[in-house]
Amino acid sequence: MKKNIALMLALLMMASLTACSSSSDSTSDTTAAETVAETDSETTAAETEAAEIEVSEETTAAESAAAEDSDLVYIQEKGTLVVGITDFEPMDYKDADGNWIGFDADMATAFAESLGVEVEFVEIDWDNKILELDGKTIDCVWNGMTLTSEVTSSMDCSNAYCNNAQVLIVSSDVADQYQDTDSLADLTIAVEAGSAGEEVVTELGIATTAVSSQADALMEIAAGTSDAAVIDALMAAAMVGEGTGYEDLTYTISLNSEEYGVGFRIGSDLVELLNEFFATSYADGSMLEIAETYGVQAALIEQ
Amino acid sequence: MDLFFEQFPIVIQALNTGFLQTLKLFFVTLIGALPLGLLISFGSMSRFRPLSTLSRVFVWVIRGTPLMIQLLIVYYFPGLVLGNAIWGGGETGRFLAASTAFIINYACYFSEIYRGGIQGIPIGPTEAGLVLGMTRSQIFFKITLLQMIKRIVPPMSNEIISLVKDTSLARIIALQEIIWAGQSFMKGSQGISGAIWPLFFTAVYYLAANGLLTLLFGWIERKLDYFR
Amino acid sequence: MSILEVEHIQKSFGHTQVLRDISFSLEQGQVLSVIGSSGSGKTTLLRCLNFLETPDGGTICVRGETIFDASDSARLTDTEIRRRRLHFGLVFQSFNLFPQYTALGNVILAKELLAKEEPDYRARKAQIHREAEEQGRELLTQMGLADRMDNYPHQLSGGQCQRVAIARALALQPDILCFDEPTSALDPELTGEVLRVIRELADHNTTMIIVTHEMAFARDVASQVIFMDDGRILEAGDPRQVLEHPREERTRQFLSRFSQG
Repeated sequence: MKKNIALMLALLMMASLTACSSSSDSTSDTTAAETVAETDSETTAAETEAAEIEVSEETTAAESAAAEDSDLVYIQEKGTLVVGITDFEPMDYKDADGNWIGFDADMATAFAESLGVEVEFVEIDWDNKILELDGKTIDCVWNGMTLTSEVTSSMDCSNAYCNNAQVLIVSSDVADQYQDTDSLADLTIAVEAGSAGEEVVTELGIATTAVSSQADALMEIAAGTSDAAVIDALMAAAMVGEGTGYEDLTYTISLNSEEYGVGFRIGSDLVELLNEFFATSYADGSMLEIAETYGVQAALIEQ
Repeated sequence: MDLFFEQFPIVIQALNTGFLQTLKLFFVTLIGALPLGLLISFGSMSRFRPLSTLSRVFVWVIRGTPLMIQLLIVYYFPGLVLGNAIWGGGETGRFLAASTAFIINYACYFSEIYRGGIQGIPIGPTEAGLVLGMTRSQIFFKITLLQMIKRIVPPMSNEIISLVKDTSLARIIALQEIIWAGQSFMKGSQGISGAIWPLFFTAVYYLAANGLLTLLFGWIERKLDYFR
Repeated sequence: MSILEVEHIQKSFGHTQVLRDISFSLEQGQVLSVIGSSGSGKTTLLRCLNFLETPDGGTICVRGETIFDASDSARLTDTEIRRRRLHFGLVFQSFNLFPQYTALGNVILAKELLAKEEPDYRARKAQIHREAEEQGRELLTQMGLADRMDNYPHQLSGGQCQRVAIARALALQPDILCFDEPTSALDPELTGEVLRVIRELADHNTTMIIVTHEMAFARDVASQVIFMDDGRILEAGDPRQVLEHPREERTRQFLSRFSQG
């Protein structure tokens, strides 16, 4: 993820350089500049503005919003807490009327209420969650997010609130051959690039095939291009076995245990507020109540 | 099989919603890029050097970089670097950002097609028009334009058919077009998870749309067949 | 008074001087033939008269009105240039018809567009259209194309196209009609029909300037002949005198190539 940010910054620098050089070209005649401003619409306008900002400012702005007003003030001013999610049952998913529900969604709604703002759920591309957060198109990532070192280094995260594990998925007919980690050595294992699953498999010293999502990893087994996959236990429960699209797959061993947390922009004062909110709602039982609604009470972590 | 029939209406409804978004992006891009492309082509053909150089450099930059990067820059640049997320996080903002990137990108491709079309037209009829006392704009609209349209229809139809498929790139900024809708059932959505067929089924929509476009362009080409 | 007076026209493209001090005059109803090898500046001269090129020096007067004066530095507006160039019509070597209009459409298009500038255009729209169409049909019939009015250029032979182009130029009733090698792009068997039409125009006292390689035709039709060489008028005068008893050696050399062929 850090690499992504560095890449992004490099691109943006390039863009602003282009804007600089083209604006100096056009100083020779105003009509040229005017016409282009009309033609190029928003991008150029944005790039030109960017060119006027000092390079040092760009870097700090991207690194954190800490120097600016507090996140709480920012959110209360606009009146909404924008929650970045993906469709991930039972944490965030749509009910029959198209409203977002789930353990995370309900908790986020309650948290927004406690801050006196509206909650807004926005589906994002999981690969771009840090871009979305730093670009202020969302205010937090609250979507059964495993607290990996990658996540905690690029976001400020809340206390863990839910347990999870990475589990091995194989075809049902060979499941009994793969009941311990030693048996995995000769498998080709598909994992989501940058996921907790990739991390644990790599730690075991086993080669992986990185694909773009956990769902793609499952498709790899179904298509016969990989022997096995490693994905979230909560997801595995919903996606493989009877009554799902992958009836011939099953999950065997857990490779690790891990925890879910909520991610905010680095330096955000909302982290502390959420931890307090978790503590009070755990204490008064409302958190457990919501967990029971979605069947995740067993995984809940004491606050 | 029962499962399939249970899933089918839910999936189709989601794909329809996604495809509506695809079509919206497609038409908004066309409406914006067709005239903007003409402006850019005039810019790059201008006898005023700074303007033509600027237009050509712009076209080079836009055509020389992937649309996916342009989408990321248009959507995330304002928030990341300027500290002002002008598009916001909601669906409307994403759509506007995607439209902006698509319009600029496609306008540049269109401008080159226009330029080829205009420059390929023989100068003779234009001079005949001048000698007959027509104004430059009369000559453009009454004589050059239709000849240009006739010349650009085949390359334009290629580009527009590509546009239908390129709209899928907008999913990089989480615009929920039809590919996104199809993929959601792999990850799990509306009680259906691990379903692979919806993603492949989206191809049917693209095929249908491009089939219609192919018919439309064939019809236009035949309509313009009366002169050479 | 002469209908056309051209004085001291100069024109260069870059360092190449294409026209050097061209002067001549033309009376109402006269036909002027311009001959000379290719590259001698004949076409450029016609293009200068039609404002497709701007001369570097000299003046052009039509019926006593100076329509071009290189020493006058005031820039002409587009409207003014359009008005002035309407004194001249031009028939191109390669016809330059508008491909998307029928023969009739080609003839009446400019007339209808000009009519739009009339103050009472809206009120008389239908009438103007009817009159333009009537005139167009008349001209095409006169050109022997009564049965070709609704054909598109690509459906017509070269000779028919050139006759449409002549009708198109005539529709605006120019004072002077210019022809730039009107038969050079045609198959030999098609030149006759075009020359016949031009001959008829001459019989009706149309003032014309014809750049041509058809020496026999020039001798029969023209009232004067100009021989151009390297951007200069080398010899000018009565057709029989210039074409049959040229004074200059260059003219003799040029003409001998045609008598042999």
